[in-house]
Amino acid sequence: MSEAVVAVDHVTKRFSGHTAVDALSLSVSPGIIYGLLGPNGAGKTTTIRMIMDIYEPDAGTVRLFGTVGGGRNHSARIGYLPEERGLYPRMRVLDVLVFLAEAKGVPRRAARAKALEWLDRLGLADWQFRKVSDLSKGMQQKVQFISTILHDPELVILDEPFSGLDPVNSQVLRDTVVDYRRRGKTVLFSTHIMEHAEKLCDRLCIIARGKKLVDGTLTELKQTHGGKHVIIAFDGSQGAATQIFADRRLVARIQDFGQEAELELAPGADAQEILRALVNSGARLARFELASPSLHKIFVDLVGPEAVTAPAVPSATEAGAHA
Amino acid sequence: MRKVWAVIRREFVERVRTKWFWISAILGPVLFGGIIVFQIIQSVGGAVRHIAVVDSTASGFGERVAEALSAGRTFRAYRVSAGPGVIDSLTRLVEAKKLDGFLIVTNDLTETGKAEYRASNISSLSAIEELQRGLGRLVVKVRLETKGVNPAVVDWAQIPIHLDTKKIARGRTTAESAGQSFVLAYIMAILLFMAILLYGVNVMSSVLEEKTTRIVEVLVSSLRPFQLMLGKVVGAGAVSFFQFLIWGVSARLLMNLRGPIARMLGADPGAAEGLQLPHIPGATIAVFLAFFLGGFLLYSAMFAAVGAMSSNEQEARQAQQPVTYLLMISYFSIIGLTNDPSSTFARTLSLVPFTSPIATPVRWTAGSMATTELVASLAILAVAIVGVTWVAARIYRVGILMTGKRPSMKELVRWVRA
Repeated sequence: MSEAVVAVDHVTKRFSGHTAVDALSLSVSPGIIYGLLGPNGAGKTTTIRMIMDIYEPDAGTVRLFGTVGGGRNHSARIGYLPEERGLYPRMRVLDVLVFLAEAKGVPRRAARAKALEWLDRLGLADWQFRKVSDLSKGMQQKVQFISTILHDPELVILDEPFSGLDPVNSQVLRDTVVDYRRRGKTVLFSTHIMEHAEKLCDRLCIIARGKKLVDGTLTELKQTHGGKHVIIAFDGSQGAATQIFADRRLVARIQDFGQEAELELAPGADAQEILRALVNSGARLARFELASPSLHKIFVDLVGPEAVTAPAVPSATEAGAHA
Repeated sequence: MRKVWAVIRREFVERVRTKWFWISAILGPVLFGGIIVFQIIQSVGGAVRHIAVVDSTASGFGERVAEALSAGRTFRAYRVSAGPGVIDSLTRLVEAKKLDGFLIVTNDLTETGKAEYRASNISSLSAIEELQRGLGRLVVKVRLETKGVNPAVVDWAQIPIHLDTKKIARGRTTAESAGQSFVLAYIMAILLFMAILLYGVNVMSSVLEEKTTRIVEVLVSSLRPFQLMLGKVVGAGAVSFFQFLIWGVSARLLMNLRGPIARMLGADPGAAEGLQLPHIPGATIAVFLAFFLGGFLLYSAMFAAVGAMSSNEQEARQAQQPVTYLLMISYFSIIGLTNDPSSTFARTLSLVPFTSPIATPVRWTAGSMATTELVASLAILAVAIVGVTWVAARIYRVGILMTGKRPSMKELVRWVRA
């Protein structure tokens, strides 16, 4: 395997007594989509900010493209979309894009050409001389997105990229991310929405309370944290489902969604036995499927229900940023 | 460095594009042009007046009066013999604007010094003064002549005294009058105060905008916070110099165009040449610009920190108050400074870095400052700029990423130490 694009080594960040990130290590190899998963307040944004050189770690090191130090020295090679987005509302669209690219170290002319190309591609060519504040929210999201990838970065870091996006822009973003990987670029993104991670990521890292719980490929995760799973969907009558699901000889854990349920079989239990018991009890089934566990299931198992309601994000007032 | 340049350019271009910039850029020359036009119109009002001299003296003295008045700049006088109905017909002429007025001269003039002047306009002090002076000189001459004094001796005795006032400043003598240097110092102080406050607040709102729109996070991932702050301060400073440049050049142009403007208004172009700007020596301009630059850097660094520690306009308005008060101290001292520029009070203000950007140029213009004092003032200011910028930059880099409540004094100290 070639050298990691992002290598975070035992990085710790404390905010006045509260440890936001605790000896976290992760490594992103080139050409993959890497997902950083965790509940709110798990330390995802703090980790990304340390990678981006916005915060300085209290301990540990960050290496990007094989050299020690955060993102600022490589800003022309990295596209960064922070969780909280914003543009200059009174500036013209084209000017904002050119300025943000220049701030990353891209020459002015090249930035201008690229900006026009992207505006055209995303259907905003007519808006280039309008003020940002004249644009709809969806259009502003597109402009923000263009500003992230305008300079054709080798590494794209997206913090909660899908939050607040309308479905159209969500699709644009997904397509672009996939296209990026196809072109051999690297994408690192954080999310707490499992479906996105499950569909997109080559590798995942689940963190909670600043600590890494697990990382690996999706298949690895499913194998090591799986067990045998059954997905059941009812079609009307549920029969004696409640009693059957409560039988610890058959079912180790259950996630009941009402009309649908995901069961983790008890060790040694046979799925057919459950099917027989359900049918005999008069349940009508729309679906009975032997499956590997969903990422959502693994996530909840690992993080635990209490961590889903994680401690509030430390107020940034206490944040001691270093730069 | 290219990144800082991008920030400077954005700051400059975006500010210059606002309508407020152009409103104030145009307002300056308009005001100045207004002053010139007003003065020309004034001088038109004081143009040549055609008057009649109604002579009822036995000796035909009126002819000499008309001659003496016509020798002056303001009046063109013609003798008219007194007679029945003359006063009435002259009054009608004045009403019809054919004549500006008439002077009634009787035998009383040489005896008791009494004469009468009737005119449509008697409010021009300079015209009345000229009339009075002309009559006075003539009467003195006639009185002495009747006592047998040689008229040439009388003329010689009446050569007027012209008092030339000149200011001694720093070992050189300038043509400036006391009034001029007072006004110049006052105008400078007001200009400095306004410019530092306005452009300092500009830096603050620009920082605040980046913070509230959250664009700052992308920026600090590409630039060091200090680079960003530096670019902002330099950019806003460049805008203010651009503004001064527009004002200076247009004032110069308007001064050069005084003649044509006067002709356009139907006045004698020569009359406009009479108005002069106080001569501003190059050294004074240099001191003004140096202390504007210093004051701007000092205060805009503080304003940048204020912007960074606030999360909305309202908070910023409150947080900027201590900084504004600091600047106000020198503003409220302007009168004291100009009245007695060499007092201990004035000396102190010109050494304290927070007041020296205004106090020192005022004292320098008023001419009561030694070069060594100037150098000391500038040196202390430079040291303060470095110190204040260092503290402000540390507050700035933490503050711009902070949201939520405003930091307490204790927290600020921790940010600076961190």
